[in-house]
Amino acid sequence: MQATLKKWLGADSAAAVIALVAVLVVFSLISPHFLTFINIQNIVVRAAILAVTGLGMTLIISMRALDLSVGSVMGFAAIVAAELLVRGVAMPLVVLAGLAAGCLLGLLNGLLITLLKIPSFVATLATLSMIFGMELLITDGQTVSIHTPLLNRLVVGNVFGVIPGAVVIALIVFAATWLIFYRTPFGRHVAAIGGDLKSAVGAGINVRLVTVGAFVLVGLCAALSGLMTAAQLQNVNSTIGVGAELTAIAVVVVGGTSLSGGRGNLFGTLCAALLLSAIKSGLNITNVSPLWEDLVFGGILIVALIVDGLRRETGRKGMLAL
Amino acid sequence: MAIEAQAAAASPSSGRKPAPPSLAAAALRKSFGGVEVLHGVDLELHPGEVHALLGENGAGKSTIINMLSGRLRPDSGEISLNGVPVSFRNPLAARRAGVSVIAQELELVPTMSVVENVFLGAEPTAYGLIRWGDAGRKVRAVLRELGLDIDPDRIVSTIGVADQQLVEIAKAIIGDFRVLIMDEPTSALNLSDTERLFKIVRRLKAAGVAILYVSHRLWEVFDIADRVTVVRDGNRIFTEEIGNTDVRAVIRGMLGTKSSLLEGAERDRAPRMSHAASAPAIELRGISSGGLLKEIDLTVAAGEVVGLAGVIGSGRAELCEAIYGLRSIDAGEIRLRGAPAVLAEPRRSLSQGTFLLPEDRKLDGVFADLDVRENVILNFVAEPTKGKASGLNVIRGGIERSAFSAMRERLGIRCPGATAPITALSGGNQQKALFARAVLSKPSVLILSEPTRGVDVGAKEEIYAAIDAFAAQGIAVIVSSSEIGELIRLCDRIQVLRGGRIVGQLPAAQAAEQTILEMMAG
Repeated sequence: MQATLKKWLGADSAAAVIALVAVLVVFSLISPHFLTFINIQNIVVRAAILAVTGLGMTLIISMRALDLSVGSVMGFAAIVAAELLVRGVAMPLVVLAGLAAGCLLGLLNGLLITLLKIPSFVATLATLSMIFGMELLITDGQTVSIHTPLLNRLVVGNVFGVIPGAVVIALIVFAATWLIFYRTPFGRHVAAIGGDLKSAVGAGINVRLVTVGAFVLVGLCAALSGLMTAAQLQNVNSTIGVGAELTAIAVVVVGGTSLSGGRGNLFGTLCAALLLSAIKSGLNITNVSPLWEDLVFGGILIVALIVDGLRRETGRKGMLAL
Repeated sequence: MAIEAQAAAASPSSGRKPAPPSLAAAALRKSFGGVEVLHGVDLELHPGEVHALLGENGAGKSTIINMLSGRLRPDSGEISLNGVPVSFRNPLAARRAGVSVIAQELELVPTMSVVENVFLGAEPTAYGLIRWGDAGRKVRAVLRELGLDIDPDRIVSTIGVADQQLVEIAKAIIGDFRVLIMDEPTSALNLSDTERLFKIVRRLKAAGVAILYVSHRLWEVFDIADRVTVVRDGNRIFTEEIGNTDVRAVIRGMLGTKSSLLEGAERDRAPRMSHAASAPAIELRGISSGGLLKEIDLTVAAGEVVGLAGVIGSGRAELCEAIYGLRSIDAGEIRLRGAPAVLAEPRRSLSQGTFLLPEDRKLDGVFADLDVRENVILNFVAEPTKGKASGLNVIRGGIERSAFSAMRERLGIRCPGATAPITALSGGNQQKALFARAVLSKPSVLILSEPTRGVDVGAKEEIYAAIDAFAAQGIAVIVSSSEIGELIRLCDRIQVLRGGRIVGQLPAAQAAEQTILEMMAG
């Protein structure tokens, strides 16, 4: 049972869990304001938004691909939703439209990668810029204010008085991606493509279809993150999601998913999202200038990459590690 | 379990008229890059038959197999299953139609578990979710049949090559199939694993499966096959009942005019110079590594060829890796030409004149993205040009080209051209290219791990001759091989390893295969 738990939760997430506990302890010792109800809520809501995109990104990275467009997709979905809301479209339809936009952009990425055989890194770098451009054209560079208390409450309001809606959403996404990744043929084929493309082809896997499917899925996740951000902020402009691709990749790698593909650690991603959010909050609350944030996150990413490199070195020495 | 289902399916053969062949190929032709490599080959596999397909590397065996299993499509010709013409779009289509393949090159995803690999692409599901419990039980049963006692949840990269080969076999025999293609299934297996595999082959055969068996080990073929087809240079030479032919006829068929290589080549080679006087090129003293190697002492003189014998897991492969610096050494020392040496990583081993020809050619040897010449000259150490300090480490094209041509000539590397991709070469020629790389690095100690694995008879003799020539130049050679005959043929001395220790040493001149086998078994 313990072995099974370890297998499915992933032994590689231990580092993220330990770091998370350490960060919580350190900041709560430094500042009495860190472990307050309000601040914890802030931390988990931000972590939830990070995690939703990160969970989708976990699949992409386990497929040995990257999606750099997730930040733009977040912003685009938020803007689509905001523009429809100010035009009086019903809320459920608005949410559906935002998610559909994410799926379509994911489909675009998937088709560019599979049909035109463009490496995912480059293809999504191009769409990152394209989608951002569309955001600017749609909003004309302006901020759209939305007044949707209901949507806001869905994300930051508490279920049973304690659990923010965003956390519930993130847990649902975690459960769904977990089932898809570990328990469906599609999910295993994603990992197989990342682990050894030739073997995947030999096993008769439709690599194109699976690749497109994975990019649609990450597009959907990113759009959901974007909608959550919009609901939280109530002011929508093209800055939503800027830089989010790097945070998403950081969350995945810190969570113990290797950039070399073939395996993914969804639980680790969840923990790492909490870790990064806690660090951000801790720096904030201890009055460290926000200008330091990127530097700190970059450092954490490098440590995670070093750990990843060491992990791949087993009895036989890794030749490329040095 | 799967096998019984096969038996039930195969039994209703009441009609007296001869059943159509399980799989038939007629006049298969295939060209690559404008060059026809297969000139109309016919092949018939009958239910319950083990049919051996033999030929040198490059004879067209792989091309035939790839076409029968949906990995390649023939340019012309017809493939039929039970008399019905078929055309496989991809390997999965072939598998669904009942053609299962045990590929020579492992097709496993290293990051995934055994059970995930066995069912990859054919996962048992209920309501869209994979039934891992079910899958695990089935895999466990098949692995037990294969004599492999490992947890199906183990990640493939953490198990040894021989076990991976068994997983590959499990993958092929777990579903429903009527035709099984086995491409060098035993190349990574030891004797007892091979015996177990043969037992399974016989049971599948009794259950009516048609089996196409490809192997370079001729004794295996005569042990297990009912009929044999020999191909050479893309043509079928003959198909014969195994009882109506013999090893000699088969080899003659495979080699054609080159069969003179065989005559008396077995054991005699030119006697080597005496090594007693020459200084030791490499000395190992008390080498231990991670419980896999225990206090190994080994001395090899310049110009001497020392063989390492031992079953898989005896420490044979690990010792080669340790000497080359691929495996960390916990205790003991290595001395090169009398001076202590730190061979902590291949870069340093190379710079001190030690070279390893790896066991897994595909994984550790060739650079698949580079062409033949680039692969050969990778470690090329050019003679310093006269009067010119070679301070700048720049690749000098002209010198390299001539070095490559010389090597190509000397080792008889058969390739379409110097800039052909290395992957276009047959296994034997890839191995020769790696030999050329070894020689060009001007080693004083050459470690050869399974130098002729997956290499055909003709190329084998050429490689043996090359090893003899290296030794004659004064290179100390260490050969690790699972083929005892090869060690006896090549070596001056043979060291037998068991459980990470050297348990015996004997001069090859007096070594009998039986004695060595007994020492290996302990």
